Amino acid sequence: MKFDPALALHSLSAMLHGLLVTIALAALVVALGLAISIPLAVARNSQRPVLAWPAAAYVIFFRGTPAMILLFLVYFGFGQVFGARDGLLGALFSNAFLCAVIGFTLNHSSYVTEIVRGGLLAVPKGLEEAAAALGIEPRDVFLRIRLPLAIRYGLKAYQNEVILFTKATAVVSVITVVDLTAVANNIFYDTYDPFTPLLTAAAFYWVLVNVIRFGLARFDGWLNVHLVADEQRDRVVMVRADGAVPRPIATAGISEAAE
Amino acid sequence: MSAAPLASEAERPVAVAIRNVDKWFGNFQALKQIDLDVHKGEKIVICGPSGSGKSTLIRCINRLEKHDSGRIVVNGIEVSDSARAILDVRREVGMVFQQFNLFPHLTILENCMLAPRLALSLPRPKAEALAMRYLARVHVAEQAGKYPAQLSGGQQQRVAVARALCMEPRIMLFDEPTSSLDPELIKEVLEVMEELAADGITMLCVTHEMGFARRVADRCAFMDRGEIVEIAPARRFFDAPNSPRLQAFLSQILH
Amino acid sequence: MPLNDLIGYFEQLLTGAVITVELAFSGYALALTVGVAWALLRRLGNPVVTAVWRVYGSIFMGVPSVLVIFLLYYGGSAILGGLLGLIGLRARIDVTPFQAGLAALTIVQGAYAAEVVSGAMRNVPRGQFEAARALGIRPYQAWWYVIMPQVARLALPGLTNIWISVLKDTALVALAGLNEIVARSRTAAGATKEPFLFFIAAALFFIVISAATLKFSARLERRLDRGVARPAVAGGRA
Repeated sequence: MKFDPALALHSLSAMLHGLLVTIALAALVVALGLAISIPLAVARNSQRPVLAWPAAAYVIFFRGTPAMILLFLVYFGFGQVFGARDGLLGALFSNAFLCAVIGFTLNHSSYVTEIVRGGLLAVPKGLEEAAAALGIEPRDVFLRIRLPLAIRYGLKAYQNEVILFTKATAVVSVITVVDLTAVANNIFYDTYDPFTPLLTAAAFYWVLVNVIRFGLARFDGWLNVHLVADEQRDRVVMVRADGAVPRPIATAGISEAAE
Repeated sequence: MSAAPLASEAERPVAVAIRNVDKWFGNFQALKQIDLDVHKGEKIVICGPSGSGKSTLIRCINRLEKHDSGRIVVNGIEVSDSARAILDVRREVGMVFQQFNLFPHLTILENCMLAPRLALSLPRPKAEALAMRYLARVHVAEQAGKYPAQLSGGQQQRVAVARALCMEPRIMLFDEPTSSLDPELIKEVLEVMEELAADGITMLCVTHEMGFARRVADRCAFMDRGEIVEIAPARRFFDAPNSPRLQAFLSQILH
Repeated sequence: MPLNDLIGYFEQLLTGAVITVELAFSGYALALTVGVAWALLRRLGNPVVTAVWRVYGSIFMGVPSVLVIFLLYYGGSAILGGLLGLIGLRARIDVTPFQAGLAALTIVQGAYAAEVVSGAMRNVPRGQFEAARALGIRPYQAWWYVIMPQVARLALPGLTNIWISVLKDTALVALAGLNEIVARSRTAAGATKEPFLFFIAAALFFIVISAATLKFSARLERRLDRGVARPAVAGGRA
């Protein structure tokens, strides 16, 4: 088992290209996922079945399914149906990268929806009542009180999901997208040396993950300057896989395993 | 049992009129045929055992709970399902909660400014001046830049009072405002409430603080199992209670 | 497409499902063991243990599982050969995809399990340990009868999530050549030109197991929660 520094250096530029693809994919999906998740979470919490049930079905399907299957479904499934056609859908589904974006967004957004939902449910009802009692309209109660607090409560769980998702992008080579892992594999196939390219790629991922962790931790610190002694801080919004409202568990360590 | 006002009060305008109000939670009837007139400037203290419906009653006034039958009219506005009516009522009525319910992510000042800016469309400088004025009134002006978590319970509750006052309501509702406070912090909140009462605002207060009731209330009401069992001017309420249930309650509370 | 062929491919899927379940169960069992072992070790407070944990945790929770699987599969025999060489043995051991996958799942999910169990242990109220000591109960008895049941209760949601992670991560081992359900669904989809049929079937397999897991976990949680005081619901009627 040996690490070849010369090879590592030589393959650096190719790896960086792969890293760029990984980052582009992750960034797009995270942005899209967040945008979709907030309305989905609201729908999920809604009293009206016409909103709540489709949202629940969405979450159950896209969360319970491994990302790989979703990628296959989009690329081979929809790609087969729409890919050969002209027009927008054809262009969309014949592009592997875009198929990856769609597949991962479906998966990632279902997790984020549950995190946002958990965050929304964690906001104490009394705060909403106080805001309503002051004569603030429901829309403003949601935007100024409920959502900001939901974000703060859910941030730790969200950070974990973003990191897990970023690592999950590593399988995207199954639908021919050349990301960091694919580049590493290619180098391995060419050189018969598995360790150098794979370990180098691992190092890149590790740095990326920690940059994300650090950045979100800073954001969390900025958001939560007020939570000096707030007991709500102790309620980690650890989202269970079924989206059940988390019981208040004061924790410092369980957050790492939040899924 | 209806709330028969004394002859001299009959001329005063009615701020809150409650007529034949019932409320159910599923099969449990929380309010039974409540009749109550709160006159302008009057201070009414409501007391009674847990589960008697005291909180439910005042929460029906600002539509935090919906009454199932009967009528509630606040300063001429009927409390109903109409979104417009609800907003109008909530601008007439301010509420202070047992759990304070300050917004943890906003400073004290921002807590007080939020509703005037959003609901009354006050521009920022005016809202800020307004907020500082009421914060000074409850003696916490120097905490304006801090966050709720940095304040003691008594300070937080006083901020809650100021926050409600910033909407300049004509009626103030208090739902067990001191029940969550450590004993030594209760006094500062009661003092603020007494100062408010002296200023002439209409007050409806659910509380166990009988000393406060004696000093401040015009009338006291005793609720038990969803009914107003007895309502009387404060003096008579404490010195000569009519109903046996009230007598029993007072003997337990005043020890 | 003749029905017999379709059925044949579904049988293939089933065989793959069995492999998936085998890998998932063994991976989970081992990960749990590793997790509890780490959690207990960390409680000792030994600085070396803490340092090793921080490196181990940071690496294996900071790197895609797929890379760990590749490293263990493609490099596995070299690693094992090297380890054996250290103790003077010369042998060639080949690593199958299943074994590489199992090892990878154990190492990576074991780290997450360690976090969950550690966190749960930390949240058992101090008073429980003290009360047990004060009653004169021997340490290992205290652990077995008093502490671990409470750890189990607190750790249950996290460990449920880890099971579901393990289950879904078995799909990654397909990239190392394991012919489990996802790999077979891809083969079937390609051969029969029926991607939706087979991919959705595979998806449903995972969804059904996840749903069953959550039901079971909820029931277990209710049972473990017996006797636990619930905080009074705010806003109770007065």
